[in-house]
Amino acid sequence: MNTETGTPVAATATAEDLHQLAELANLVTAARDAMSDDIVTRLAGAMSEGITLLDRLTRNEGLIYLLQELDRPENQHFLVSLANAFTEASKELATTPQAKGGLVCALRLVQDPGVLEGLRLVSLVGSRLSKSMREMHRHGG
Amino acid sequence: MRILVVGGGTGGTIVANNLARRLSGEIRAGKVKLTMLSASDKHMYQPGLLYVAFGQMMPDELYRDQASLLESSIDFHVDPVEQFELDKNQVKTKSGKVYMYDVMVIATGSRIVPEQIPGLAEGAETFYSEAGAVKMFKRLREFQGGKIAVVVGVPHKCPIAPVEVIFSMHDYFKARGIRDKVTIKYHYPIGRIHTIKEVATWAKPEFDRMGIEYETLFNVKEVDVKNKVVKSEEDTEYAYDLLIAIPPHRGMEVIEKNGLGEGGWIPTDRHKLTMNGHDNVYVVGDTTNLPVSKTGSAAHFEAEVISENISSIVKIGTPVRDYDGKVYCFIETGHDSATYAMFNYQNPPDLKPPSKPMHWFKMSYNKMYWTSVRGLL
Repeated sequence: MNTETGTPVAATATAEDLHQLAELANLVTAARDAMSDDIVTRLAGAMSEGITLLDRLTRNEGLIYLLQELDRPENQHFLVSLANAFTEASKELATTPQAKGGLVCALRLVQDPGVLEGLRLVSLVGSRLSKSMREMHRHGG
Repeated sequence: MRILVVGGGTGGTIVANNLARRLSGEIRAGKVKLTMLSASDKHMYQPGLLYVAFGQMMPDELYRDQASLLESSIDFHVDPVEQFELDKNQVKTKSGKVYMYDVMVIATGSRIVPEQIPGLAEGAETFYSEAGAVKMFKRLREFQGGKIAVVVGVPHKCPIAPVEVIFSMHDYFKARGIRDKVTIKYHYPIGRIHTIKEVATWAKPEFDRMGIEYETLFNVKEVDVKNKVVKSEEDTEYAYDLLIAIPPHRGMEVIEKNGLGEGGWIPTDRHKLTMNGHDNVYVVGDTTNLPVSKTGSAAHFEAEVISENISSIVKIGTPVRDYDGKVYCFIETGHDSATYAMFNYQNPPDLKPPSKPMHWFKMSYNKMYWTSVRGLL
């Protein structure tokens, strides 16, 4: 093989270049010797399943839509708030004495304005969710 | 348009998945319905049987649930076809149901028929079924020395298998340290050691190097199981301690019973891959009578052509591709080296020297097959 000016490539290679090539060849040989049928089979198996999974994920329209929604900052904030709310609620639940049950207990609970706000939120979410599900089924989804 | 795929082997599965991808919009819109009928809910990676026969793979590694390999838009039924009524564009299944089609793909495959040769089923070990491959491994494992005869029935699936089993046996007994106690004799039905001339030319010096004895023009006539002698149509015979056979194959019984093709092989247009005289019926894989190897790779390349053509017929009203006879066969040349043969109708194979990376490529393909059959590779 010649360079553009006609000088053979081998002639331009320095001893250092050849040494580096030899090192590379040694590395390839070492890697080859270290490999086994089992390693190759496991790698190929993981790759095969990985490709299949990637294919399913990238062609899943619902997932793509979810990812697009997740790109919106308000949705990211919502998810963070949701996670924080669950963390704090679970901590509070752990330190609160167990409810005794009964009507009096329920009345005491709804006297808390925060609980009433929560119930309102749940009912609003429920109303929108049922509307959205009705639409989905109407369109054959 | 109703597209019906009959058979869930390599060819049928690739065709169905490819069509489901190419026609996803049409299927969603209800313009195309894609149905597959298969005899089994399991899919087997058949080339893996050779590895099972040498203890390199376990049988459970060869199977996946067929439904898990199919696109969700494919209407899949385990209900084998019993009657093909091509004049009515319909088939009848074992359950009694009738499936109508506008386009049908027949991918029913082939079967082994060792019973065609007296004594072969009882006297020989084979690796063309799970039970056979496990039994063959156990026989090889307990073998301590003596004469092994390898015989080849025709026609048979995977043309490279007779050569591969020789290489594998040589390495297997070498690894056990008893190669010098084992005589391996290879018998082949035509006048050279392999039907593909280039493979024969390449394999002969390899056999000589490994000390493999060989006899050509040996068509198995019968096996004398009691006296352990295999006899040929050419009036020669060989006394063995262990007999290993590549059994003869036929197409599926349902093809023969319905008169679709002699021996179960359907007369097929070599480029269009349609059944002769039926432009809306395609044939893929072992089921064809084409002069190409009966291998998964041939089925794969044919399946790509068929699915592209059916899809283009749906979209623009005409097929766009022709099959060129392409086949790609891995050749395991022992337990740690391999090469390959690639050829088509026009070009014979040009075999490269065996290497370890090529063996790893084959080992990798054993796993990548599942990606391939899903229509991804």
